Amino acid sequence: MRRILAGIETEYGLLVEGHGAEVQVDDSMALVRDYPGECFLHWDYGFESPRADLRGFRLDRLAQDPEDAKYDAGRSYGEARDLHSNRILPNGARFYNDHGHPEYATPECWSIFELANHDCAGQLVVRRAAHTMQERIGRLVKIYKNNTDFHGASYGTHEGYLVPRSVGFERLFQGLLPMMAVRQVLVGSGSLGAADGRSKGFQLSQRADFISEAANAETLYRRPIFNTRDEPHAESGEWIRLHVICGDANMISNATARKVGLMKLAIALCEINQSPVWRLKDPVRAFQAISQDQAYEFRVELEGRSWTTAGEILESYFSAAELLLDLDQELRWVIDSSRQLLTDLRSNFDRFRREVDWAAKRTMLDEFVESEGTTWKDPSLRSFDLEYHNVDPDEGLHAALVQMEEVAPEPEVADLLACLEGVNESTRAFARGLAISKFKDYLTSVCWRTLTFSENGKSIEVDLPPDADYPPQLAEASDVGTFINMLRGIR
Amino acid sequence: MTDGDRLTRPLTREPDKKLGDESGPNVPNIRKPEGGNELLRRMKKVDPDQAKKYRQRSGQ
Repeated sequence: MRRILAGIETEYGLLVEGHGAEVQVDDSMALVRDYPGECFLHWDYGFESPRADLRGFRLDRLAQDPEDAKYDAGRSYGEARDLHSNRILPNGARFYNDHGHPEYATPECWSIFELANHDCAGQLVVRRAAHTMQERIGRLVKIYKNNTDFHGASYGTHEGYLVPRSVGFERLFQGLLPMMAVRQVLVGSGSLGAADGRSKGFQLSQRADFISEAANAETLYRRPIFNTRDEPHAESGEWIRLHVICGDANMISNATARKVGLMKLAIALCEINQSPVWRLKDPVRAFQAISQDQAYEFRVELEGRSWTTAGEILESYFSAAELLLDLDQELRWVIDSSRQLLTDLRSNFDRFRREVDWAAKRTMLDEFVESEGTTWKDPSLRSFDLEYHNVDPDEGLHAALVQMEEVAPEPEVADLLACLEGVNESTRAFARGLAISKFKDYLTSVCWRTLTFSENGKSIEVDLPPDADYPPQLAEASDVGTFINMLRGIR
Repeated sequence: MTDGDRLTRPLTREPDKKLGDESGPNVPNIRKPEGGNELLRRMKKVDPDQAKKYRQRSGQ
């Protein structure tokens, strides 16, 4: 099967002692600027098209959360670029502020495990910036890798997948929507209560309450399961970037890899027009019902007065993939480990919770309720939910579970540090990273698809094809001219 | 095409569920983690109102 390039962008929660959400954009920009590591600053926004829709039209404007808009009343931020701090790193990643949130966009990866490591290394980047900011301003700065503030605000963890445009919207929508709705059973991060602060029991998904439509191009409000934003970050006639916004931020690294692997299975089946056929009666309701199902049956209503379960939908993808795809070792792992987890959910929850964030969090809260003789109405439980996502290894509750070996281990720190130095794969991120570490003085701007150099007074833009292999010999280029010529030869 | 319909069943009335039930889930049986000192130690240090105070800008 075709290998699928993927990346993850995580918007982090930011809490600065004594500061409110009204200054969060300023705090977020300041935090990014406090990142102390090697980086390049100039991002090229020329290829961005957030209002373009895969269905062939363009929105006049993107909807904004009216509650959130109140924070900006009376303020003028000027151009979009004035709202952003950018730090492009020697591994090809982009660390920036997306409005009020520090965001780490990983380098593009072929491997799901490499991607999970880079996603985890992003926590290190944000922590470093937070530490510097804290020292500078003399206030506590906390960072959370989650997707809700429990007061009605959500922020995303988005996945991007390189997909041939020829597959087409309709096939992708029909083939991927069921997977998007059900994978939360294995990769949801868990959330206590509803998005607006009301009690709703314990949910599997942090995003379910914020999803209101099956498909649209919005990301800030009226969020969909299937996001139709058409921003390919590559030759637009050939590629789309499938922009998946309905997933959660994972603390357990294996869950990150599984989350991406499940989507890759579904995309690969779509590409050969062999997706399992499921017609969900009401996809949004299905997504939310699975998230809220206290009995863990995960029933899904289908068109035609029938029903199935999330487990059976997942299994239909696994069996189709085994039958029809030439699976590599990683996707074999995705299927085998997911099947095992679906069995463990019923028969061995202790094993299940080691690999699944919602179950690890659920167990942690249950243990507290039991040991302290409190109830599920105890407001401190929601604070524990939040602190599960605190990325400080000395404070975070997920980090405590790792230390106690109650959940799957995280990547070694040495591996994460290596992730910040560069990439191990032959992706275009390798070339981007080299440009920054070796030829930064000649660079004028960078984006996902191009590098722009200035040499002898001339501006030279080099396109980075997303599906090409970038050879290790690039690292041996002794001057920028040789580097540019080598890049131009890559197809 | 793979026929997902083979895996479906007639729709019957769903068992009554109590969404918003405050008692937490009743299945599965969750085992209390052993050696929970570090976790409990950190939980005791958490400000119980931390989530109440946590307000964020809406993002993507």
